[in-house]
Amino acid sequence: MRYAFFPGCVAKGTCPELYQSTYKVAEKLGMELVELTEATCCGAGVMQAKNTELTDAYTARTFALAEEKGLDTVVTICSTCQGYMDPANKTLKEDSEHLARINSHLSDGGHQYKGGVQVKHLMWVLSEGQELENLKGKVQKNLNGLKVAPFYGCQILRPTYALGYEDPEKPSSMERIIAALGGQAVDYRCKTRCCGFPIILENEKAALRMTGRSLLDAKENDAQCVVTPCPLCHLNLDIYQKKAEKEIGAKLNMPVLHLSQLVGLALGISAKELQLPKHFVSSSQVVSAVGA
Amino acid sequence: MAMEEEVFSHDLLIVGAGLAGMRAAIAAGEGLDVAIVSKLHPVRSHSGAAQGGIAASLGNSDEEDSWETHMFDTVKGSDYLGDQDAIEMMVKDAPGVIYELEHMGCVFTRMDDGRVAQRRFGGHSKPRACFAADWTGHTILQVLYEQIMKRRVRVYEEWYMVSLIVRDNVCRGIVAYDIDQGKLCVIRAKAVLFATGGYGRAFKITSNAHANSGDGIIATYRAGIPLEDMEFVQFHPTGLWRQGILVSEGARGEGAYILNNDGERFMTNYAPEMMELAPRDLTSRAIQTEINEGRGIGGQDYVYIDLRHLGKERILERLPQIHDLAYDFTGVDCFEEPIPIQPTAHYSMGGIPCTMEGQVTCDPGNTPIKGFFAAGECSCVSVHGANRLGTNSLLEAVVFGRRAGTAASEYAKGEVLPELPDDANQPAREEIEWVLNNQGSESVMAIKDDLQTSMMENCGIFRTEEQLKSQLATISKLRERFSKVKIDDKGRRFNTDLIGALELSRLLEFSDIIVTGAVARQECRGSHYRTDHPKRDDENWLKHTLAYRTDDGPRLEYKPVTITTYQPEERKY
Amino acid sequence: MAEVRFNIYRLNPETGGDGRFQEYKVECEKGDTVLDCLNKIKGEQDGTVTYRMSCRSAICGSCAMRICGHTRLACSTQVSGLLEIYEEITLEPLQNFPVIKDLVVDMKAYWEKIEAIMPYMVPDAGEPVPEKERLQSPEQFDTVFEVATCIRCSACVSDCTSLEADDKFLAPAALAKSFRFAGDSRDAADKERLTELVKEGGIWDCVRCYECTQVCPKDVRPAEHIIQLREKALNNQMEKSVGARHVLGFMESVGHSGQLDEGKLPMFAVKNIGAKISMVPIGIKMFLKGKLPLKHKPIPGAEDVQRIYKKLEGE
Ligand SMILES: Cc1cc2nc3c(=O)[nH]c(=O)nc-3n(C[C@H](O)[C@H](O)[C@H](O)COP(=O)(O)OP(=O)(O)OC[C@H]3O[C@@H](n4cnc5c(N)ncnc54)[C@H](O)[C@@H]3O)c2cc1C
Ligand code: FES
Repeated sequence: MRYAFFPGCVAKGTCPELYQSTYKVAEKLGMELVELTEATCCGAGVMQAKNTELTDAYTARTFALAEEKGLDTVVTICSTCQGYMDPANKTLKEDSEHLARINSHLSDGGHQYKGGVQVKHLMWVLSEGQELENLKGKVQKNLNGLKVAPFYGCQILRPTYALGYEDPEKPSSMERIIAALGGQAVDYRCKTRCCGFPIILENEKAALRMTGRSLLDAKENDAQCVVTPCPLCHLNLDIYQKKAEKEIGAKLNMPVLHLSQLVGLALGISAKELQLPKHFVSSSQVVSAVGA
Repeated sequence: MAMEEEVFSHDLLIVGAGLAGMRAAIAAGEGLDVAIVSKLHPVRSHSGAAQGGIAASLGNSDEEDSWETHMFDTVKGSDYLGDQDAIEMMVKDAPGVIYELEHMGCVFTRMDDGRVAQRRFGGHSKPRACFAADWTGHTILQVLYEQIMKRRVRVYEEWYMVSLIVRDNVCRGIVAYDIDQGKLCVIRAKAVLFATGGYGRAFKITSNAHANSGDGIIATYRAGIPLEDMEFVQFHPTGLWRQGILVSEGARGEGAYILNNDGERFMTNYAPEMMELAPRDLTSRAIQTEINEGRGIGGQDYVYIDLRHLGKERILERLPQIHDLAYDFTGVDCFEEPIPIQPTAHYSMGGIPCTMEGQVTCDPGNTPIKGFFAAGECSCVSVHGANRLGTNSLLEAVVFGRRAGTAASEYAKGEVLPELPDDANQPAREEIEWVLNNQGSESVMAIKDDLQTSMMENCGIFRTEEQLKSQLATISKLRERFSKVKIDDKGRRFNTDLIGALELSRLLEFSDIIVTGAVARQECRGSHYRTDHPKRDDENWLKHTLAYRTDDGPRLEYKPVTITTYQPEERKY
Repeated sequence: MAEVRFNIYRLNPETGGDGRFQEYKVECEKGDTVLDCLNKIKGEQDGTVTYRMSCRSAICGSCAMRICGHTRLACSTQVSGLLEIYEEITLEPLQNFPVIKDLVVDMKAYWEKIEAIMPYMVPDAGEPVPEKERLQSPEQFDTVFEVATCIRCSACVSDCTSLEADDKFLAPAALAKSFRFAGDSRDAADKERLTELVKEGGIWDCVRCYECTQVCPKDVRPAEHIIQLREKALNNQMEKSVGARHVLGFMESVGHSGQLDEGKLPMFAVKNIGAKISMVPIGIKMFLKGKLPLKHKPIPGAEDVQRIYKKLEGE
């Protein structure tokens, strides 16, 4: 399948391992990712507090770029991109007046969004239908019952009226993928809670408590690693893990993987190629458990 | 359980924090020590459940509207039992109180030109219901509580008023039970104002909250003051089937149809002119007749209210809550399907007799109980007579809450704290201790259930002497059972088991009064329909009932209706 | 329907100790709500089970509790719906509140936070009070109607992630309530109200997790209104807080290069020197791990992005 690919800022900035591992995985799976190199940031819910007309224009422009390439599915690898582009797309599609106005901002740049695109996180793409079957078939290193704690976080689940892909109370897409890889998904309360990232600058203590609490919950439920579809969650869960340990007064030492990295391991891609060493918390135990 | 006693005192003590109670507290103004006692947090009061609207002849939607028309509609709606001087006062005050609410910040649905929108309602000949979609009571309740917060009025929240202290026709305070702490306290006051709401919970199918257990009226009754017109209980035509939860008349105001099993808008046969927007007594009887004659849906005990033709947009704009309630409680999507409904016990026309200034009176000659005031649904002014028109009771609560609040504070300003009798809290203490310690075998839930089912059957929309008399016997048996009641929770803190038993004792007592009044009243008037006396009888019954407490049950007296402008005529719609 | 197991949190303040769970079995009928079942338990099995309720029609806000881990109204939650996901029904008191008894919590802190936001309308004191209603367009009514339908049940506060981590946070109910006035065309106290709201524990402490919007039984969407308050604060030039600077820096960065400069933004947003310094060790480590690109490159065709930015944000 050919997909338009929207990596988002973080995968191209502070989480280069996500970017790289996504390409590696896509290659193995025979997915063709056509990167929208001219696309701009989604606004991350931050810019939306100042100017939604602007973020809608940026987002519509991104969709237009995909249409211009003859593609109808934009794949994201960040929950936040998904969480803001998806609802923006819904409004653009449903409200033709709004679409026309937004397009009027784009026309000088020669773009025009016709409303024919869907946005889908890689997690959703891989968790169903053909792609899931394909994935199952290509597993080379079965995860061997590895206990994986899926960390959904917020933006890819809530609010339902804006996303509605799956029930935030009982999400299952990551569980399906983990199962397909031969791993065992850990069920724990915090899997749909916030990682704390959005207020890490504003209120670090509170943010760290959130991070710590979620990781501790995963740990107490015997997880060997945490996997997340969101690089922003990853930043807090990994980079700030040491600080979070201090804040909550508990040892965590919990490896945190991007979803693409976990998939990559099972597809037989090396830890190095997946850039696991870039993480602050070592993933070596996971790697040896899988035997990669 | 040993109960500590604590005594508080205030200039003006308001019991009840719905629209009437809070509006009264605001009217009382500055310079006076005002406090509110409420068994629920104020914003949990049942006023918040009011959906459809509040009446005032603003003339925004129809310039021809006037207070005179509003008055006539109300008098006619009351089946001429309403006191016309009070009605006139209320409808004249109406526009002013709406503007006041609006100035306090209440939200109202607007017309394109920015004025408050108005819609039609049953029994009103003009569109005069002001509303906030179908959230009217809620939005008013919130705005009043905002003002209470702003004014920092002391609220004893989750305190249950158990009894009223009256000696020598002077009110001296109340006895209240702090639910959280389990403490019984006396609260002294120069003036006490009751705004404790209605008594719809005696019926199985009801739109009323669990809390609407008539506590205020029974405290009044037990203090030796009579209750007025208690037999008049309004059944709202459209309660969700089996639940009783309300589908506002606003739905019909917006144009919804009522349909029987044949898909027929049967109101043509009962009120060819006003159709679905006939007054409630008539419409409820029409629905019940259809059901009784086998034209309910599938022969069952419900008919349909159909909103589909209004369209999704209109429903979402004007009746969003109805949509959600129907969906959450009956699983019906009203965009696609009609909603199953049946009449539901809704509003208490009777209550504590009082003047237009809220001054409570204790006999046909209107002798005042000094320092005791009442307003809102617990009172009987009487502006609704035998049948209330929709949107007139939020209005009543605000208009008379304000008037009574002003009168009570004026009174309190000129008084000193009246002396307490020695045994002020004795009845309350004994009652609570009795409930906690009684060693019986009867459960509160079972007795309540039997009461509600039997009241529904025997004292509902259609009544006969035979049924009513058998209901009196049933109630007396239920009271007998209540004497053997046993509760599980003997604790002090937050004992809702205890409160449930106290409320049941009040339900039993006022049910007795309702039925006694209904047996005596041998005519049809408004909500009171006697199939064995199928005519209104002005010659003998154009009068208010007063029920006094005696050891042998209620004793009835009567007092005249005030008629100023409109002579009784036949009601046609 | 069938027999359903209820697992109810019990805590008796008089005997003290920790809470525990007690199991009850209830014969449920189709259409039964959680509240119906609680009433059956209390009425038929155990009168000591304690909870609040009144209207039983999802309007008084008394009966919110955690039902199977999420906060909902007991009176409007159908048992059959829960059984599609859960095998038994767990009932716990609201989170983020002290428990008084069983499912009843102490709401004092909740109301104190509401009181802290000037929870009433303040019209322009300079304008005379009109004789009739103040005019308001249907659109202006729509802006505040959604928040006006809050029933104060506290579901949002119970599930609020930020509050759980920091009890100074005003939390969604109070913030949505401030939008009730800040969004009202008749209110004139924006400045005063917002000045409080941009302080610690205010609008910038929300993590945008949308738990509140998700659990709200009345679709009040508190999170969305918190974002609207942020917009208002920025429009009122209240730009000192880290959160506000974060937005502005973010806008700038994307407006110029099309993409966020993640390296620069934290240093711009955080003004406090101590806080800046405390970020350094993590920064260094990121750099060493190759996670902090030193040079931020604009995207190809960034001029088009700049053009849109100029058009919609000005200079
Ligand atoms: C579902 C529904 C919809 C309605 N819709 C409309 C409408 O659209 N328009 C209209 O005009 N009318 C409507 N009504 C009627 C109207 O809402 C009520 O008549 C009115 O709100 C009553 O207000 P109130 O202040 O008298 O009492 P309530 O709001 O019921 O308040 C009673 C107060 O008394 C307190 N209290 C009671 N007992 C005690 C005690 N023992 N100790 C301490 N405190 C106590 C309670 O805590 C509460 O605060 C509706 C009624 C219902 C049930
Ligand atoms: S009982 Fe009132 S909201 Fe549930």
